[in-house]
Amino acid sequence: MLRLGALVAGIAVALSFPSMAPSPYEVTVGIAILNFAVLSTSWNFVGGFTGYISLGHGAFAGLGAYATGLLVTKGELPSFVALFVGAALVAVLAIPVGYAALRVRGASFVIVSIALVLIMLLVFQSWASFTGGSRGLVVPRPFPGKLRSEHHEIFYFLFLGLLALALLAWWIIDRSRFGMGLKAIREDEDKAQSLGTPTYTYKLVVFVVSAAFTALAGGLYGLWFGDLDPVFQFSILSGAYMVLMALLGGVRHLYGPLLGAVVVGYGLEYSKLEYGDTPLHLVFAGLLLGVVVMFMPDGVIPAVTGLVARVLGTGETSIREVTAAELRDERDEREADVRPDHRPDGKSPDGKSDGKREVRQ
Amino acid sequence: MSTTQRLSWRVAALASATALTAAGCGSGGSSEDSPDDPITIGVSLPLTGDFSEPGKGVERGYKAWAKIVNDKGGLLGRKVELKILDDQSNADRVVSDYEQLIGRDQVDLVLGPFSTRLVVPAARVAEEYGLLFVEPAGAAPEVFDQGFKNLFYAAPAVANDHYNHLADYILALPEAERPKSVAYAAMDDPFAQGTAYGLKDKLEKGGIKTVVDEVYPPNTTDFGSIAAQIASSKADMVVGGSQYQDGVNLIVALQQLDYQPKMAAFSTAPTEPEFAKAIGDKTEGILAPTGYTQHADYPSNKEFVEKYTEQIGKAPEEDEANAYTTGQVVAAAVEAAKCASQDEECQQKLVKWLRGNEVETVVGPLKWDDKGRPQSAHMIQQWVDGEIQIVLPEEQKEADLVHPKPKW
Amino acid sequence: MPSASLVFQSIVLGVLLGGLYALLAAGLTLYFGVMRVVMIAHSAFLILAAYLAWYAHRETGVDPLLTLLVTVPLFFVAGVAMQRLLLTRLRPATLTMMSVLLTFSVALVIEGLLGYAFSGTQRRIRLGYSSASLEFFGARVAVVKLIAFGLAAAALLGLYLLMRHSRFGQALRATIQHREAAALVGIDTDRIAGYGFGLGLATAAVGGTALSLDTTIYPSLHWHWIGPLMAIIVVGGLGSVPGAAIAAMILGLTQSLLQLELSTTWAQTVFYVALFATLAVRPQGFFGGRLAQRF
Repeated sequence: MLRLGALVAGIAVALSFPSMAPSPYEVTVGIAILNFAVLSTSWNFVGGFTGYISLGHGAFAGLGAYATGLLVTKGELPSFVALFVGAALVAVLAIPVGYAALRVRGASFVIVSIALVLIMLLVFQSWASFTGGSRGLVVPRPFPGKLRSEHHEIFYFLFLGLLALALLAWWIIDRSRFGMGLKAIREDEDKAQSLGTPTYTYKLVVFVVSAAFTALAGGLYGLWFGDLDPVFQFSILSGAYMVLMALLGGVRHLYGPLLGAVVVGYGLEYSKLEYGDTPLHLVFAGLLLGVVVMFMPDGVIPAVTGLVARVLGTGETSIREVTAAELRDERDEREADVRPDHRPDGKSPDGKSDGKREVRQ
Repeated sequence: MSTTQRLSWRVAALASATALTAAGCGSGGSSEDSPDDPITIGVSLPLTGDFSEPGKGVERGYKAWAKIVNDKGGLLGRKVELKILDDQSNADRVVSDYEQLIGRDQVDLVLGPFSTRLVVPAARVAEEYGLLFVEPAGAAPEVFDQGFKNLFYAAPAVANDHYNHLADYILALPEAERPKSVAYAAMDDPFAQGTAYGLKDKLEKGGIKTVVDEVYPPNTTDFGSIAAQIASSKADMVVGGSQYQDGVNLIVALQQLDYQPKMAAFSTAPTEPEFAKAIGDKTEGILAPTGYTQHADYPSNKEFVEKYTEQIGKAPEEDEANAYTTGQVVAAAVEAAKCASQDEECQQKLVKWLRGNEVETVVGPLKWDDKGRPQSAHMIQQWVDGEIQIVLPEEQKEADLVHPKPKW
Repeated sequence: MPSASLVFQSIVLGVLLGGLYALLAAGLTLYFGVMRVVMIAHSAFLILAAYLAWYAHRETGVDPLLTLLVTVPLFFVAGVAMQRLLLTRLRPATLTMMSVLLTFSVALVIEGLLGYAFSGTQRRIRLGYSSASLEFFGARVAVVKLIAFGLAAAALLGLYLLMRHSRFGQALRATIQHREAAALVGIDTDRIAGYGFGLGLATAAVGGTALSLDTTIYPSLHWHWIGPLMAIIVVGGLGSVPGAAIAAMILGLTQSLLQLELSTTWAQTVFYVALFATLAVRPQGFFGGRLAQRF
């Protein structure tokens, strides 16, 4: 119930934000944060479920942006058709890339992901006749008649919609057998494989899904921002931010990457306002990443709630403070009240546990 | 669901809501425009990151301009106040900065940032909010092909025309002295390529052969291979479309291969103060285009050089001068239109005035075509007797052009 | 069709470049070998060493090569410290992934501090012999490139001798090959891993100094190096020092020759093409032998 309430409150805040914002500038900050949220949630399909850390997801975002941009300028498709076609193209491209990359794990995988971004950067810089190279590519506005402030508002809601879509997809996978298989890969890939999970196929599918959502985010950003430059579209740093946000928020939670995006996105704006004149913002980002990795690798939410739970004491411990005999007596009493015909092992007839202790998920 | 999990959601929801609301509650700037309020001018510059060196030069130029204007009583009797943000040499940031300056801080006027990469996205913001956009550093052809109606470039000529005087000089040389083949090496950057290819077009039309045409990415550090190709082609002249020290690296690589061209021209790099140190005393004869010289006797220039040197302690270079020119152009428009505020009417008056008038600046009189391209020409400098001096055009030269280039 | 002399010149340049890549890649693969750690900060330390050399030269006029006397031991200690204080704190299950992120953060911090201390201006050391060159069968060999190659070769030779012919080297190789087995025969693998790390960073010091002789340096330069280096160590076989050295020479040479026909940018893609090819065909690398790891 409370969860639903929190969700509704969150949605209400998100929807009313543009009208509450004092100027279009704050809306652009909101868009930037939403963009980060979609990107890190999309990253989390691979990072959270399978445990493979990709530092190169920036490549898919950049590819999405350029695919959309090129389809609009050279293919003369309408903007949003181009967006989806572009994302589909990137998803198709992700199949051979994933095929090669997912053959390895751990260190090699990370190296491949970084290499992907770097090679995309080189290709898009050199193939100037097609991509505009370092001169950049201008993506025409999808709504030419609108004022810039209205443009920002429309895209804010579009990003919000995309975020909802990504969260929904994540939630569905989380609850499915497919998701279970992926989590098995995360825990121990070899054992999962020996138990019959088609690990390679599963990895590839989630990789492609992740790439598709990332490309959608990149493409939408391209439509909003309008000026594409390979150096900024294919950057390892933005890939690293995605990882930082997902890690910070907690990779195993649906809203983890979103929370991380809000915190880091806001933190970046703030540190730029305070320390903008020096490169110390890089130091700040680096230290934050380092701290998260070393002390809170499961994310801020689990770390904070763990702390709070330890301090407040939620009443659930795994240490029983009664003797076994007393426990048995308690149980017998309860069963006698509830069900006269209880089974000898204490479980009620429909096989569920006795209900006193909830299983920790 | 367990208590700890419920706690998780509460923490998450609370944190998100707080952060979003906090982000939304930025302090909006005041937008009173009473006659005694200062005129706020917003700028975003790359003070950190890859363009930080020229970015800081432009910042010094803007600050000097503001001080000099204020010392003389300000614009329209109001003091000028600069609000300078750091965009970290990043296009996303520069857009965000100008959104902040225009939307949240409600500045009255804006001035342009540094580097073509940043100018185009920034100009788009200004254009879509209807503001005048005078910029000191976007010279590449792309800038003027975007359909911007409020943009003006505050320097004598666009990138492709930087070498015009040199092209004329070369084509006017007698057959025996003229270089017959040229090697071009340009950084993959709209400005650097613009300068090199502008010269290439004119020389090719004049019948001079292109024997090497290389483009290298901005982060190239090893020029051994490119230098090898240039040396092996034995071209009479080498033209570098360079930005910062890629020019230095290329020259050193060419020196290491003992390649001795009769003429060498590089954009930007030779005008940097570190250039001489970087390649020692081997600078003799290297050519570079420049928009500005401290010795020019334009009326506002003497004052600029004097007051700038007083304030900062050394003479102004091209970046500072471009910034100062930008300030001068905007000031001229403001004084003529007698308004300085963000509303569309005023900004359109400013644009219209600049479109039809000439402005006296430290780089000479400037006027623009309908796309914002200035119509004057850059000068050509050369390292002569250990100092960089103007050699073209004739009217402004401080020394005679040295040709052929002595060995380096 | 490029002339024979141009091809020869390119070969010479490729060999010189390959030697430098070999030294840098050797260090990078060493971290992986001892600890299964992908040390992204390796190139950031490279640039740090180059900056230190430049700074020392600017302030005192001393030849950058002399800074090696200070930077090599300093970086060795820093490497040991990093291993002991930071990396051992990570959970073993996710060590590789987390170490990537941790070393990435170190790289960011170094870049930020360098930018803060020295600003983003591009720097280059000017030496009296910066543009001198020697003649070699019709090709010109720049003196500074030769010195850099010499440094790299000397360091690699030293590394080779250390690893093959010293007890420490034996212990190191054992730790790389099979950590548990090495522990079982009595090797203090934690300490050895620490020293291995220090050794890797020491090579970064040498490489960075060599780099400073002939390159312009700026804080974000490390991104330019980490990509090719990582590709090299995968092609050579993760964890194998000789594998990395061989792969480096081959790829450096190929890059140099490709630059004759293709533009510089396309030539840089050779590293990544080789990387993908390796992963598709032989993920444990081509030249690594027994020490090479698949992941």
